Amino acid sequence: MELQIKTSETPITVSELSKRIKSLIEFEFQYILITGEISNCKKHTPSGNFYFVLKDDKSQVSAVMWNSRSVRLAFEPKDGQRVVIKGRLSLYETRGTYQIDVFEMFQAGLGELQMAFEALKQKLFEEGLFDHARKKSLPEFPENVVIITSETGAVIEDFKRIANKRFPSAKITLIPATVQGTTTAKNIIKALKFAQTLEDRIDVICIARGGGSIEDLWGFNDEALARAICDCIIPVVSAIGHEIDFTICDFVSDVRAATPSAAAEIIFPDKNDYLERIKQSEYLIKKIVSGKISNLGEYLDGLKNNYFFNKPIDILNDFKMKLDDREDELKNLTTEKFSAIKNDLNYIEKILFNISPENTLKRGYSLVKKNGKYVSSSDELVLFDRVKIQFKDGENDAEIIS
Amino acid sequence: MAKQKNEKDTESFEYNYKRLQDIVDKLESEVDDASLDKIMEYYQEGLKLINSCRSKLKDAELKIEKINSEFNNSK
Repeated sequence: MELQIKTSETPITVSELSKRIKSLIEFEFQYILITGEISNCKKHTPSGNFYFVLKDDKSQVSAVMWNSRSVRLAFEPKDGQRVVIKGRLSLYETRGTYQIDVFEMFQAGLGELQMAFEALKQKLFEEGLFDHARKKSLPEFPENVVIITSETGAVIEDFKRIANKRFPSAKITLIPATVQGTTTAKNIIKALKFAQTLEDRIDVICIARGGGSIEDLWGFNDEALARAICDCIIPVVSAIGHEIDFTICDFVSDVRAATPSAAAEIIFPDKNDYLERIKQSEYLIKKIVSGKISNLGEYLDGLKNNYFFNKPIDILNDFKMKLDDREDELKNLTTEKFSAIKNDLNYIEKILFNISPENTLKRGYSLVKKNGKYVSSSDELVLFDRVKIQFKDGENDAEIIS
Repeated sequence: MAKQKNEKDTESFEYNYKRLQDIVDKLESEVDDASLDKIMEYYQEGLKLINSCRSKLKDAELKIEKINSEFNNSK
């Protein structure tokens, strides 16, 4: 029998089919959370990639966990282990098989941990320990900052670098603590208590650790640690390294930062802002003071020209002018008077001269003297009196003959 | 025990910075009424504070102290 196909249909190739299955599967299952049991577990050398089968009682799926991801596993996968896997599905066209590409893998007991986490979270929330109102605000000038983190690594280096760039007048006290494993909570509680006894008054405490898996961060979900943070009298910033995951510490802390670097940016103000404001203050102060001085200067100039201020000078000038006038008057009067007197004197002189004996003599008259005395009447003379007759040009003796 | 942060700690940047803002406010509000002496007093204190705050920010070096990790010996 011959295969009968309609002329409108064309057969697809194997590759086409695989391609279509691949896009369907990889789109639909780009993120899966799946639980099952490990079997046929093989670790490939030298690549270190883990190949295994995930199964339940009815079905199975192949899986691979690349070495780069498996190094972060907190446990060694073994056959028979029940696990929870986060991953995606991929289709390998060359083999025609599909496989789970594992991102993260947890031991199934983690389900119980998750439940305990939710329960604790609920309990503390109901006690009001997450309330926004009880969160302390960070001080504006953090001059003394404590950081609780591991003493080596990127966290402390980044924190120091950013602090130095933004606010170098601060002092940072590092209290080293282990930030993973089962001793995490106990160590950090101890560090917190110690920070509160330091001699310097501490402005902010930062609890920081870098990124990690859920297991790495698990210590930060500890109840005693959460309560220690609540009891802390100093504001606490938690920077537990994961952008999206929140630990109990993040909820109870006063400020939560997504990363330790972000914490440093939050805690330390930028000195350039303050330098700018200081510059403005300087400008204002200088402006106000020089303004005041020039105002006073203008005021003084105004006073100098003010009528009332000049009155004493005016009065003085007035007097000066009056003095000059008087002086002139005096001069004029004196001169006039003097002239008048001079005229009078001249007149008198003339008169006197006119009536003087010398002048009379010059006019041709003569004077008669008897015994040195002038004779002004003939009655004063008798016969035979001896007299002197004074002429303008000389004297003669004479005797009265009648 | 932690010593009380002395609000009047004249060494601290915080105190000096706040005092500087104070001086600017005083100058702005009192400039018309205050005597020249008072204004000059504010001026001098203001400049002194500006220098001190600036040097605290520019010349400061971040101080780091590490607590001896022997305190942290719990296991």
